[in-house]
Amino acid sequence: MNLAQVKEGELVRIVDVLGGLGLRNRLASIGIFPGAQVKVVKSPPGPVIVEVAGSRVAIGQGMAKKVEVEPL
Amino acid sequence: MKEKVRVALVGNPNVGKTAIMNALAGTNEKVGNWPGVTVQKKVGRYNFRGFEVELIDLPGIYSLTSYTIEERVTRNFLFSGEYDVVADVIDVTLLGRNLYLTLELLEMGIKPVVVLNKVDELENLGFSVDKEALARILKLPVVEVSAVRRKGLEELSELFLRVGTGALKPEGFTPSYSEVLENSIELLRLKLKELLPSDFPYPLRWFSIKLLEKDPEVLELLKKYASEPETVLSELKRIEDEVRRKEGIDLPSLVARERFLLASRIATKAVKSTVDLPRERLSDKLDRVVTNPLTGMPIFFLIMWAVFKLTFELSSPIGDAIDYLFSQLLPSLVEEHLRALPPFAISLLNDGVLSGIGAVMVFLPVLGILYLLMTLLEDTGYMARAAALWDNFMRLFGLSGASVIPMILGFGCNVPAVYATRAMRSATQRLVTMLIIPWVSCSARLPVYAVFTAAFFKENQSLVLLSLYLLGIALALAFAFLASRRLGADRESDFFIELPPYKLPSWSVVFNQTFIEVKEFVTKAGTVIFAVSVFIWALASLPPGVEYAGEGSLVGRIGKLLLPLFQPFGIEDWKPIVALIFGALAKEVVVGTLGALYGTGEEGLEKAISSSFTPESALAFMVFTLLYVPCVATIAAIKQETGGWKYPLLLVAVELLTAWFVAFAVYRVSGLVFS
Repeated sequence: MNLAQVKEGELVRIVDVLGGLGLRNRLASIGIFPGAQVKVVKSPPGPVIVEVAGSRVAIGQGMAKKVEVEPL
Repeated sequence: MKEKVRVALVGNPNVGKTAIMNALAGTNEKVGNWPGVTVQKKVGRYNFRGFEVELIDLPGIYSLTSYTIEERVTRNFLFSGEYDVVADVIDVTLLGRNLYLTLELLEMGIKPVVVLNKVDELENLGFSVDKEALARILKLPVVEVSAVRRKGLEELSELFLRVGTGALKPEGFTPSYSEVLENSIELLRLKLKELLPSDFPYPLRWFSIKLLEKDPEVLELLKKYASEPETVLSELKRIEDEVRRKEGIDLPSLVARERFLLASRIATKAVKSTVDLPRERLSDKLDRVVTNPLTGMPIFFLIMWAVFKLTFELSSPIGDAIDYLFSQLLPSLVEEHLRALPPFAISLLNDGVLSGIGAVMVFLPVLGILYLLMTLLEDTGYMARAAALWDNFMRLFGLSGASVIPMILGFGCNVPAVYATRAMRSATQRLVTMLIIPWVSCSARLPVYAVFTAAFFKENQSLVLLSLYLLGIALALAFAFLASRRLGADRESDFFIELPPYKLPSWSVVFNQTFIEVKEFVTKAGTVIFAVSVFIWALASLPPGVEYAGEGSLVGRIGKLLLPLFQPFGIEDWKPIVALIFGALAKEVVVGTLGALYGTGEEGLEKAISSSFTPESALAFMVFTLLYVPCVATIAAIKQETGGWKYPLLLVAVELLTAWFVAFAVYRVSGLVFS
């Protein structure tokens, strides 16, 4: 399952971030890395919004599809 | 001379560095660019206890790697040592995430003053921060401030002085991580110690950590300094394989995860909660509405419409008054009271100097109001939502959602649109956006279309108008597509957009920032606009004694000289060419100049045009006016924002060529269609 498929309000754990080092580093620096938990505030249409480490972050659908997650 | 303390402000985006700068230095701020890049550099100054404190605002960043220009600028500045104190500004409501950057600073061997901003907001949320505990863990001086409420500022300045003069030397904590990671760092460090020269300028532990993170710039440095870089790289590979076997994760992710977890652990020791946070916030509901395309688009256009309406309705009476002052009242006073002067001098004063000053001043109301509204949208948190809403679409053209607002403002006036790109985080994306704004048809071009469509396309006026606007947008997006690939902006687009909490703006910050920006416009862009105005006046008045902008004047002669270039798309007269040269000052001038040259004024212009243009050449002329050069104010703004003449001159060249080819194509195609 990827981040774009998660229902609004659900908590998930990040399994892997597929993509270049730049993407992984940037996401990790705000708390999106394998093993971390995030809450999905909004799902598509439009960007995915997640709550991570106390802040709200909007992620484009293309990018969200690269984030593999598992339900908690 | 006063003793000076230089303070570098580092921090994540949205932590309130600008607000701190404002609270301390007020409007004593200079805006420029970091050398060689289009990243904005702000420097503020103030006096405190007999010292001059200089605040250097570094770009807002989430981490200290080298994936973006902002990160590279910050990191290289921090290694340059051109400062006395580093202040790590932290949004205390997001302490854990912000400490990630603090740990990276400590890894670099930098011992910053930790500035916990927004303490008032934290207390409102029902939390309290234990700054002594934080200072004990980090072994750094910690100070609580609220830039907006002006709390803790005295203590902050005092700390700057004590650290800056060396009276206080922060000890600094060395972040240490899990056994697996520490072993990896140590293995690499020992290898590096063998292979790097003894005068290697970077801390080895930091260098090892960054190699584990596969930082591109550090890999370059390794190749430059190490005697056998391959040995280090194969060691790195070996370590990576082992870590993957043990932990099931790649090295860069491992480093980031450990750093983040350590930061969070430290944060939980320092912040105590007294209440439970609601699971669902009102702002989450609002976010769902404003970033969902179905509901978000109408809201976006409504807000943009309101911004437009307010800006142009409020500014137009002030603009008209300024215009009246410089083009009528003052010139008539000059003519009346300085009658003794020769006509040439009066023309210099009126058509050169006064109209030049007027050309600068007339932008002030639009810029001031628009800047105010933009700061407001940014401060309330809406700007980030609008960027998120548009991100998917703009990505198709190698840009990001943040470029949409400047582009839309371009329909009103390109000049404030260029300045509006300042809200964009990525420097390269910002550059591309600035360069495509001139293709967006601003309102000053409308009078030209109005006259020509009235003369030739009475039946299809709106269709022609719409086509012109669409042509501009299409070229802007096509150019964005090409330029973003050429400059690498498509790779730099933000992977995520942080949505800061909705809040009321801080008026003192809004007004101070607006004042600073307007002042910078007058001193930087204003001088260019003024110089070009006087230059064009000289072209129109020399040699002495000729009719202003007439056939014998320099500009008239240039027009005739250029005529062969315009004949391929049906322009057989030098007058429209002179009008285009004047149009470089401001595009609405094209119509007035044509009116003066045909001796008809603006009212009878339609008739004069009907006889000297054909429908085909009229279309080509409108297209050329849309595309040829940005007006001088836009060029000056782009020069100010990019820090040099390279990009504005390149842009002028590209636009002139494109304008010529498109006008030619339109002339030929319409010739086929109309016959």
